[in-house]
Amino acid sequence: MSMEKSSFEPTQEFFDQWLKTYETTCGRLVEMPAIGPSREKSEKLMKGFSSFVNLYAAWMDSSINLQNVFMEAMRRMHEKTGSEMEGEISPEKYKDFYKAWIETYSETFKEFLKSDHFASDNGRFISYFMEFQKRNREMLEENYLKPMNLPTKAELDDIYKELYSLKRTVKELTSQVKELSEKK
Amino acid sequence: MNDLILIEDYKKFKLGMELFLNLPEFSVGTTPSEIIYTEDKMKLLHYIPTAEKQHPVPILVVYALVNRYYILDLQPDKSVIRRLLDKGFDIYIIDWGYPSGVDRYLTIDDYVNGYINNAVDKIRELSGLDKISLLGVCQGGTLSVMYAALHPEKVKNLITLVTPVNFDTDKGLLHIWAKSLDVDSIVDNYGIVPGNLLNAGFLLTDLFRLMIDKYVGLFERIESGPDDAVCQQRNEETFKNFLRMEKWIFDSPDQAGETFRQFMKDCYQKNLLIKNKMELNGKRINLEKISMPLLNVMAEFDHLVPNDASIPLNDAVSSSDKEMLVFPTGHIGIFVGSRSQKEVCPRIAEWLKPRSLDGSREEKFKQKRKNQRSKVRTK
Repeated sequence: MSMEKSSFEPTQEFFDQWLKTYETTCGRLVEMPAIGPSREKSEKLMKGFSSFVNLYAAWMDSSINLQNVFMEAMRRMHEKTGSEMEGEISPEKYKDFYKAWIETYSETFKEFLKSDHFASDNGRFISYFMEFQKRNREMLEENYLKPMNLPTKAELDDIYKELYSLKRTVKELTSQVKELSEKK
Repeated sequence: MNDLILIEDYKKFKLGMELFLNLPEFSVGTTPSEIIYTEDKMKLLHYIPTAEKQHPVPILVVYALVNRYYILDLQPDKSVIRRLLDKGFDIYIIDWGYPSGVDRYLTIDDYVNGYINNAVDKIRELSGLDKISLLGVCQGGTLSVMYAALHPEKVKNLITLVTPVNFDTDKGLLHIWAKSLDVDSIVDNYGIVPGNLLNAGFLLTDLFRLMIDKYVGLFERIESGPDDAVCQQRNEETFKNFLRMEKWIFDSPDQAGETFRQFMKDCYQKNLLIKNKMELNGKRINLEKISMPLLNVMAEFDHLVPNDASIPLNDAVSSSDKEMLVFPTGHIGIFVGSRSQKEVCPRIAEWLKPRSLDGSREEKFKQKRKNQRSKVRTK
């Protein structure tokens, strides 16, 4: 499908150039090990920033791909209805146009969504999004929740794990007691 | 002519908006039931019989963890549950509830060897029977298959409805996307995987139809004839039916993280279940242990569970009495479509009837089947 090839090459090129420049300038500063009394906090902050750049890069890739699909759908739509939609547009024609629009866009997007290309892009985007959310939460916990002595997600997870393990033990013991009492 | 069409469209839109503003309340899952067992957030419901009990073997319906069980009882005229009750079956269903943070460490083992097993034991205790029938739906079918393989001594019949067991297919978008998903990062980040995240994936499978055309279609179905009272009643029903389905679609429970992790990795990414390599708490699931009668029901146009994902089950089990049914409908249509009520439910009931008999009558049926099979072979 022609949408695999970018119709947004200038956008892609600009972004690639921006990313390269970032990686060779600010990016290197961000990756630099922190020193001094606040090194742990600074490093976390910088890692958070780095994860944001990764997310931004993945988002840009996905956006450009999506724009290409939209362009391809629009091209197909024009091929299908270009001549029919000339002159006065009646409501009947409008309905036919809507039908063709839904069909063309659905089919074009389905083709794109079926591609391995989309699957890997989507997987990468979700991974970066999760990483970004995790870093964000850690920063929030570090700078707000801990100083205010409020429980963090990690602490709650510890409790949940303990509770889960206790519940499982209780269930196992209850079933053993039941079995033993039935044997009697 | 053009003006008339415009006026008609405007009238429909106006009527539609009025309906939205004044629509009486609507309900889902109205077939009366009682809770007979609870464990954590899981509830076991027993449907109150609507007909004289004709088949002694009770049925336990196991629905998926994503979305809610009431799609099987959406409204009185679109209810798999009601159709089976009317045929004299004794029906139980598991309501998984809405998992929260405290459930994040629940595993598939907890669901299969814990909740389902305890529900089965409760029904066995109440019915006084050693074995019951299992009707697993979608992901609930996959869990039922696991259960039947691990506890064949408690399952008399296994019915799977749009159930994936072979995940190595590129026919469904979910199967394609799942391969590249970083499941660990999702579970580690959320703990409890948001239902809305999964719902976004389901919507993406047919974005334009599900997010635009469906709503346009609703307004197009509005009737504005000369008999306004009759039209109004029909329109109200159309809107109520639409909203029932809309409620179900967006009523998406969050997922227990560890269960999601194992299901995605072992099933969707490694396809271990059909290879007899999947383990629950150290116990290997061998599908050949499934020797009870099996009915595998599929929807021909299923975009979420393609037929390729369900068909291999029949070859993987050791049951001699096994059947496959494919209906020309979709993943949801198989529960709520008109074909579901007219064809799917009656066919399931027909299949179950002779397999839900008491001892002596069942022996006669088995003998009859044996004779039929030998006749087929001779031919």
